[in-house]
Parts: sequence; structure tokens; C-alpha cells
Amino acid sequence: MPNEAHNQAEELLPWYATGQLDQADRTLVETHLATCARCRSKLSAERLLIDEFQLVSPEIDGGWVRLRSRIEDRQRARFSIGGALAGFWHLLTRPAVATLATAQIGFLILAAAVLQSTSRPNYQAHGVPEAAAAANVIVKFRPESREADLRGALEVSGASLVGGPTAADAYLLHVPADSRQSALAKLRADTNVTLAQPIDGPAS
Amino acid sequence: MSVQGAARRPHSNAPRSSGLEESELIERVRGRDLHAFERLYRIYQPRLARFLFNLVQRPQLVEEVLDDTMMVVWETAGNFRGTSKLSTWIFSIAYRKAIKARARWPEPVHEEPFDARVSLDPAPDEQLQHQQLHDALISSMSKLSADHRTVVDLTYFHGMGYREIAEVMNCPVDTVKTRMFHARRRLRDAMSGSMADWI
Repeated sequence: MPNEAHNQAEELLPWYATGQLDQADRTLVETHLATCARCRSKLSAERLLIDEFQLVSPEIDGGWVRLRSRIEDRQRARFSIGGALAGFWHLLTRPAVATLATAQIGFLILAAAVLQSTSRPNYQAHGVPEAAAAANVIVKFRPESREADLRGALEVSGASLVGGPTAADAYLLHVPADSRQSALAKLRADTNVTLAQPIDGPAS
Repeated sequence: MSVQGAARRPHSNAPRSSGLEESELIERVRGRDLHAFERLYRIYQPRLARFLFNLVQRPQLVEEVLDDTMMVVWETAGNFRGTSKLSTWIFSIAYRKAIKARARWPEPVHEEPFDARVSLDPAPDEQLQHQQLHDALISSMSKLSADHRTVVDLTYFHGMGYREIAEVMNCPVDTVKTRMFHARRRLRDAMSGSMADWI
């Protein structure tokens, strides 16, 4: 029946156009196309549409760092305090409650600032400028980072280690005030660094 | 008269790897190799993001469902036996997660158009024509149902055959064909004037 053959071939045209038909389906479509100008025209439209689809793409955040943190948090929860807190931590890290995560970072920075103010020594060694000992940046590294990775990040950014690790596995660094922005940019570009924030207020 | 012509190769913009490489990666993921999982994630993230955006149409929900999907892959990689393609397995997980996520948002979904990534052609007339077609496609896609958008996207962008799509969506192959048929009809109606002789 010509109509039935036409309908079957028409249904399969999208997958014929993308090369996703098996031999039997392909033969069915090609036999029909040889005699149906209308379906040949539709095939051209299919190919135009496929080309257009290649240019349409939603902009979605990468998110590997977020997912890796979730995996690591889950692993830590399993090996330390069991799975009881994992669900809660999972909830905290979901995008829908991202504001809570932001608050966590804010708390971390605040805690580091308090730590910095309470742990700064009241004396100063001769020949050591005070600025060299004052932390003005807090960083966190990926848990699997090695000591050489930490040293590399410090050298590239021109930062010096002031303290840490804190209870949250963060480190306090000092970077020269006049190169703070570029140092922060270099730290944030480092794949071993998961957080780099100033703790002495916005740059002047 | 030749009726064949070259088949279009979908998902040309998406990072891909060979089947062999993917099978090696999933094997290493089974052994809890986080670096292998990162590579797998980077292969699938763009494809899943696009697929999920079509389904749920909320960027924030896309991130959440994508993360949930890849967590299932990480946690249950040992369950993947290789009886289907790895992509089919991962996309079917994503589809189920997306359907559940949509159920949590019962209010009508705000239809956000795709963000467009264009374009190549410097010729003004051609570019204008191309842009009109592009805009019409974006607008028309947003008017389709989620199931129709899913079948269209899996076919045209992800290059899946109708049997694989049926596996992802857990439905009969005839349902896939019917959905595609009606989706194309609706695209034709929505794009009338932008695409002469379309279907």
C-alpha cells in the first residue's frame, strides 16, 4: 500500500537523516525516497534542522568542583560519623540552597579573621617586617593536593604562609597589598585551590 | 537519481570519547577512581546539561538533576553490565531524575528560551535569514511538550536511534516514533513561514 509505505518512511526520516537506521529500515526509506519528491523535500528540511540544532545550546554551569565536593563529603561522612549527616550535607550543597553555602563561606572567612586577630603574636622579631606576618587571604586546597601543589600555588601567586591548617582545613596567607588582586586571581585559577578569599576587606 | 547524501552527525559541539575509552573509564570508576570519574563527567556534562535543560527548563534545577544523575553513576557504576551503551544507561538515569524533579515543581514551568551560540556567517542577508530560522527554532521548541522536546533533542542533537531513545524513556519504540512525528508536525506549525516546505 503506497500510503502505508509513505507513512512508514516519513516516520523514519529523522533517523535516516542522522544515520541511525539499521539496514532494513534504511532500505525501506531509500526505496520510498526514490519515488516520492515530497519526502525528499522533507529530508532536506530534516538536515537543515539538524544543522541548526548544533548551534543551539543552553548555558549551564560546569559544576565539577561542586560534584566532587559532594562525593568527598559523602565519603568523609561514611568513614567518620557515618551516613547520618550525609543527607543534610547533600541538602546544603544543592543549588537550590546555594545561599546557605554562601553563608557557610562567609562564616569561614569570619572565623579565619577572628583566628587571625587572636593568634597574631604580640612580639615582633628584629628584621622581620610586620606586614610579612599579617594574613590577608584565606585559601582551601583540594583534599588530594600534595605538599608540592601547595608550595607551587604559593610561589606562583607570590603568597607566603602565615598559618593553618585551620579546623576547616583552610590556610592563612599573606600577599603584598599592591598585588593582592593578581595574587587572588592566580590562586583562584589554580586547579588545586577550591577557595581563595581576602579577609582584610575589599581592596583599596 | 541518488537520494542518499551524507547523514548528519549530531552533537558535533559536545566533547566525546570513543566507546573504548568510555568503557575503560567506567571500569576505573567502578574501582572508585575519582580522576576517571572527572573525565567521564566532563564528557557527559555538556550533553546532559542540554538534555536536562530541554526537560526541566530551569537552570538551577538542571544543575541539581545533573549532579544527582552523576552521583548515581558514581555510586552504582558497579551495576552497569554493558548490556546497553553507557550513554543509554546514563541518559536513562538522567531522564528518571528529571521526571521526578519536574514532579516537585507542579506549577507551569516558565519557558526560558535556549541561550543561543551563534554564528559563523558574515554575509548580512544570509546571516539575517539564518538568525530568523534560529530564533524560530528556539521559540518553536519551547512550545513543545517535555516528552516531544526530549525525543527531538535526543534524535537531532544526541544522535540516538529510536530504539535507544525508547530505552532511555522506558517506552515502546512506536511511542518514540509517534512522539517524533507529532513533534515535527508541531514544529512545522510553529515555524510556518520560517522554513519553506518544512515537512
